[in-house]
Amino acid sequence: LPPPAHLCLLTLLSPPLSSAAPTSPAEPISQAYSLALYMQKNTSMLLQTYLQYQGSPFSDSGFSAPELQLSSLPPATAFFKTWRALDDGERLSLAQGAFLALTQHLQLVRDDQSDLNPGSPILLAQLGTARLRAQGLLGNMAAIMTALGLPMPPEEDTLELVAFGASAFERKCRGYVVTREYGHWTDRAVRDLALLKAKYPA
Amino acid sequence: TAVISPQDPTLLIGSSLLATCSVHGDPPGATAEGLYWTLNGRRLPPELSRVLNASTLALALANLNGSRQQSGDNLVCHARDGSILAGSCLYVGLPPEKPVNISCWSKNMKDLTCRWTPGAHGETFLHTNYSLKYKLRWYGQDNTCEEYHTVGPHSCHIPKDLALFTPYEIWVEATNRLGSARSDVLTLDILDVVTTDPPPDVHVSRVGGLEDQLSVRWVSPPALKDFLFQAKYQIRYRVEDSVDWKVVDDVSNQTSCRLAGLKPGTVYFVQVRCNPFGIYGSKKAGIWSEWSHPTAASTPRSERSGPGGGACEPRGGEPSSGPVRRELKQFLGWLKKHAYCSNLSFRLYDQWRAWMQKSHKTRNQDEGILPSGRRGTARGPAR
Repeated sequence: LPPPAHLCLLTLLSPPLSSAAPTSPAEPISQAYSLALYMQKNTSMLLQTYLQYQGSPFSDSGFSAPELQLSSLPPATAFFKTWRALDDGERLSLAQGAFLALTQHLQLVRDDQSDLNPGSPILLAQLGTARLRAQGLLGNMAAIMTALGLPMPPEEDTLELVAFGASAFERKCRGYVVTREYGHWTDRAVRDLALLKAKYPA
Repeated sequence: TAVISPQDPTLLIGSSLLATCSVHGDPPGATAEGLYWTLNGRRLPPELSRVLNASTLALALANLNGSRQQSGDNLVCHARDGSILAGSCLYVGLPPEKPVNISCWSKNMKDLTCRWTPGAHGETFLHTNYSLKYKLRWYGQDNTCEEYHTVGPHSCHIPKDLALFTPYEIWVEATNRLGSARSDVLTLDILDVVTTDPPPDVHVSRVGGLEDQLSVRWVSPPALKDFLFQAKYQIRYRVEDSVDWKVVDDVSNQTSCRLAGLKPGTVYFVQVRCNPFGIYGSKKAGIWSEWSHPTAASTPRSERSGPGGGACEPRGGEPSSGPVRRELKQFLGWLKKHAYCSNLSFRLYDQWRAWMQKSHKTRNQDEGILPSGRRGTARGPAR
């Protein structure tokens, strides 16, 4: 066939562009899932790097302080049965709320650390990267919600003003909780998206 | 919950601290009973603690060491089960010492880079902020340099808006939680501290077959082309496995030089540097640039004199050395070494040697093959 005819044939075979019909959520779900998996590879490194820079006891190997919590961050843990039974809208809405809060908290922690540990470009870079990835995941989840025809939850300011008056030790603890919960929510997002992936196969 | 007091105190090394951990609220009935202190993860001996009242535990620390990390030492009040109730970061250190040894240079007469050394004792255990300041000596306000760490941790670069032909005052301020210190003021005119990059394109090559010479050529640094300056150059060279450099000083405004009196068949490393003195007609020297990257070259092997060996064939090359010629050669070598880059003697010498080679060759052809005994020094098999 002469070259122009080749092109004609290819155009006929390519999928038709969709206009008003709802798009399949499989593509954005798959993308979000890939991103969450990618993020998951780095979350423990972020936590370890963070702890290293705060000094002992934080930097002690195996440090864990589950008693430290932040009321401004939603908990990642849930009863399995409850979690499994969530409908798509609730599932995504909870994840969105959490990652939105995490992006704001990661910014706060980065600001705190640039004051507490001014000469630590590696830590600051990792906190910045974590925040960017969380934002990316928020974008992907918004795409899934659009594909499913679900309403977008409003963006809320999750940090209360009282957070600004924190002492140095409180700020160190806060960063620990944020980087820890970032890891927990990323683990949960992988599970959430795996469920959705199975529910809406390509 | 609990609260430690004081929060984030700043203390001098060797000072004492009295701290309290007060519990309140939930769980109701929480007491100071069973609480304990850790400092940087290590449990403190119980004799340092004291129960003040039902809800308060006190701590007395003496002779504090400098903080282990810049983010502060972690003083933590733990519940009986080890969980963290409250904490406070201690900042223990020394005020900064006066920064010293400020040196500045300009690469292009528009910018200024300065470097300094922190005060003598170095470690303050606290994060110390350095700020380079400058102002025109007779006028205007203080300016602060903004681009730090350009050539090492204690350096700053001022990229523009600097005047020439007028003095600046430059100093460094060091600040930390315990105080600040200011260096002595350095006064300078930008034109007096100009330097360049090293001369680019340094080439070292042999001079024909001459076994004791190398020719060095370079290019004048391009940055100062327009600045009506006269460059001075310095060349240094050493034998490959030696650490002693020989320096050729006083190379004015040339871009080539011939090194002489070298050892034959030896690898030499050569470097060149430049000083842009006489900028805009000033009589002052600038600052020497860095040395150029070492360039290596080797002198040709000398012809060997001695009976009959296979290695000493003339092959239309060097004429064989006689005693008179050797002395003449040494004299000329000495002359060259002590009269740097004097073109006159080189040219003459070269012309003479070239003439010697040519005449020797023709003499060979004329006289044909002779037994080795006939000549003053032996040669290998004649052609």
